[in-house]
Amino acid sequence: MAFLLRRAQAALFTIACVMLMLFMLVRSVPGDMASIMLGPRATPELRARIVAEMGLDQNIFVQLWLFLTRVVRGDFGEDIISRRPIIDIVAEVLPNTLILAGTALFLSLVFGILLGLIAAKSRGSWADSLLGLLSVAFVSTPSLVVSIVLLLLFSRALHWFPVAGVGDSGDMLDQLAHLVLPATALALGWIGYIARLVRAALLETLTEHHIRTLRAYGVPEWRIAGIYALRLALVPLVSILGIGLGDLIGSAVFAELIFARPGIGSLIFNSIAVRNYPVVQAAVLIIILIYILANLAVDLINSRLDPRIARAMREGRQA
Amino acid sequence: MISFMNRRSFLAGGAVFAASPLLPPFVSAALAERKQAVVRVDVDIANLDPGNRIGTVDGNVILSVCQTLARFDAGKLTWSNDAAKEIKQISETEYTFELNPGQMFTDGYGEMTAEDVKFSFDRFINSDAKGKKLAYAEDLGALDKVEVTGKYTGRLLLKHPSPALWLIGLCDASGAILSRKATEALGDKIATQIIGSGPYRLAEWRPKEQFVLEINPDYKGAAKAHFPRILAKFIAEPKTALLSFQGKELDFTAVDPSSAGEARKVEQAKVIEIEGIDYTWISLNVEKGALADPRVRQAIRLGIDIDMIIAGAYGAAVSRAKTLLAPGLIGAWPEAPLYNRDLEKAKALLAEAGQTGLSVSFTCLNEAVPMATAQIVQANLAEIGVTVTINAMDSGAYWAMGSDDKSKDLELTLIQYLSKFDPSFQTQWFLSAQVGLWNWQRWKSADFDRLHAEGLATTDTVKRAQIYIDMQKLLDESASCVWITHGRNFFIHADWLKPCLLPNAMNWQYEYFGEA
Repeated sequence: MAFLLRRAQAALFTIACVMLMLFMLVRSVPGDMASIMLGPRATPELRARIVAEMGLDQNIFVQLWLFLTRVVRGDFGEDIISRRPIIDIVAEVLPNTLILAGTALFLSLVFGILLGLIAAKSRGSWADSLLGLLSVAFVSTPSLVVSIVLLLLFSRALHWFPVAGVGDSGDMLDQLAHLVLPATALALGWIGYIARLVRAALLETLTEHHIRTLRAYGVPEWRIAGIYALRLALVPLVSILGIGLGDLIGSAVFAELIFARPGIGSLIFNSIAVRNYPVVQAAVLIIILIYILANLAVDLINSRLDPRIARAMREGRQA
Repeated sequence: MISFMNRRSFLAGGAVFAASPLLPPFVSAALAERKQAVVRVDVDIANLDPGNRIGTVDGNVILSVCQTLARFDAGKLTWSNDAAKEIKQISETEYTFELNPGQMFTDGYGEMTAEDVKFSFDRFINSDAKGKKLAYAEDLGALDKVEVTGKYTGRLLLKHPSPALWLIGLCDASGAILSRKATEALGDKIATQIIGSGPYRLAEWRPKEQFVLEINPDYKGAAKAHFPRILAKFIAEPKTALLSFQGKELDFTAVDPSSAGEARKVEQAKVIEIEGIDYTWISLNVEKGALADPRVRQAIRLGIDIDMIIAGAYGAAVSRAKTLLAPGLIGAWPEAPLYNRDLEKAKALLAEAGQTGLSVSFTCLNEAVPMATAQIVQANLAEIGVTVTINAMDSGAYWAMGSDDKSKDLELTLIQYLSKFDPSFQTQWFLSAQVGLWNWQRWKSADFDRLHAEGLATTDTVKRAQIYIDMQKLLDESASCVWITHGRNFFIHADWLKPCLLPNAMNWQYEYFGEA
């Protein structure tokens, strides 16, 4: 409980700092929404009115205070353009991003662990070299490039998957078909990274005393590598999952733009482009919350995997 | 009983039936009747309030959902009565109208009456329910008041004669007739839940994804829609849109000029080209340093190779503009001089002005075509001894130049403005009063301002055309604008579809979309 309270305090501090930075950035970037969206139709009166409606004419600390106190009440305000509650706008697209990032994370874990396991078990062989090469290639290729290549290959040339959108609501197969390419594009880099991480962790674990003991007892090699060694090798992997989820949500913007998927990444991107800061602030806050919750979940999972971490958490020190 | 089905055909039929849900959507669509057309929009719906709409996507939805007193004919700038049974011009400043009876607003908001017309236009004349002036108020700026004379009849009284009122106001989205009852009930929700009596109704909107227009069976006007459904998918990226079209997920989309060649190779599809009426030009700030000397401006105009810009930056997909108003508009000036590149004359002008080693900045958007244009201008002007520094900006910073007199620091600027069908809409941005706002040339001319005012109030078409030609001559003499292009718009559509667009290519008339 004490651990959770400390984490909550840290989370609030993080949110306040990030939002303060965001508010300061907003002020330093030139441009206003009325001029961008209406061009020459934006009269000085209209611009001034929109700035006032967005609350940008107030002191930065007042803005931050008003924003945070409203958020506590669950009120993110109203979008200046569409006059809809901002929380509705974010909530409409958030599931798409979570599904995309979640699927990408799932693919990364399944294929990353599998490839890492194969590479570790075949250390020094041609398969290990090939997987090492592939992993580095995956890690070093930006998801933007992967997205375009997958689109051209599997949608345009082969017509296996649809190009744009999220699919018909209520048609699970259609939605899955729309998910395959963007999720793969996002996952590929993390597959390579996880494969290298798992390989390294497994190789280290496989040389430890208790593994030698297991071998001495005649436990089958696949069981040693796939269960006993892998469990310990997963500790560093789980530690990066929180960061991974945050990275995937951040990278989702490219996939969302290229595959024309509505999502929180493209929402932030488009809102910044038109200087719609209230929407940016709300969307960024939601991402921070997800990130914080994901990292909290990671700590709790780690404590289950490694008793030393659980003990450190109880004692209130860094594991 | 005659056996028409053997074991083999039963199995084949069964297999097709079983596999049908797995068929890609385009196969299913092809097999289905043409009950809908799928179009791509590059921006999502933002605000459907006619007076606060954001762009043409909003305007196109408004015009398909609402009636106007008169509606543009299919693909033309002429118009016919829509909600109005009769419109009479009593004088240059007075019109009377009579509505068709029995025109019902959707969603149970009752019959349209002259009170609804007054309510809709009063929002532009005065302000909305919260006292805020509408963003598009100037579209109906000539309107003084609307008087209701009967359940279906009323009078439109103008402040001054206004030949442009119908073209840019009453027939456009600003002239949409709203239900007073619905608008008052919806409040701010009008931005996304528009209620009208037009050919379509907005049946569904999934933000950032798609919207659906469904035919309004109660529509009483002449513009009856062909397709029961128009599905508009939001795809921002033009390349993704073309791929989506190639995958048969779309029936109609705009195409980037640079992709027009690729689009022409798509089978079972047609590409259409529509000359634009917008205008792209290089603005020269007449108040800034050496540019204050007209000889320097003339030298720069002669030093820039517009044909090279058309070929290099636009891939030769557009034609060259000679002046402000595009061909076909009132006041178009076919005899406008064409300034071909003349290095010797340009150098001589600079020498005459005593300019050596001149440096200027070139401000543009940080997008592909503007950047390519900037680089060509940089290379061109280097040949006459002018050093150009490119200042590429994101759209936010760029459009911020339209406020707080920020344009005073600009020198050369690449600008593209959108047009309307009436020349007064284009000329208004070059007025003296716009210096510090959207007149980035900062060129002031009392004669130009006077002619603009005259043009607004002149109803004789021939006289009016001459006024706008005279205004363009003044602009030409100022050498403050180097015209590049009016643009050209490319679209690709399925060969069975017959899209319908107004000549500016921005106004899509969904109600007139049909089958070829």
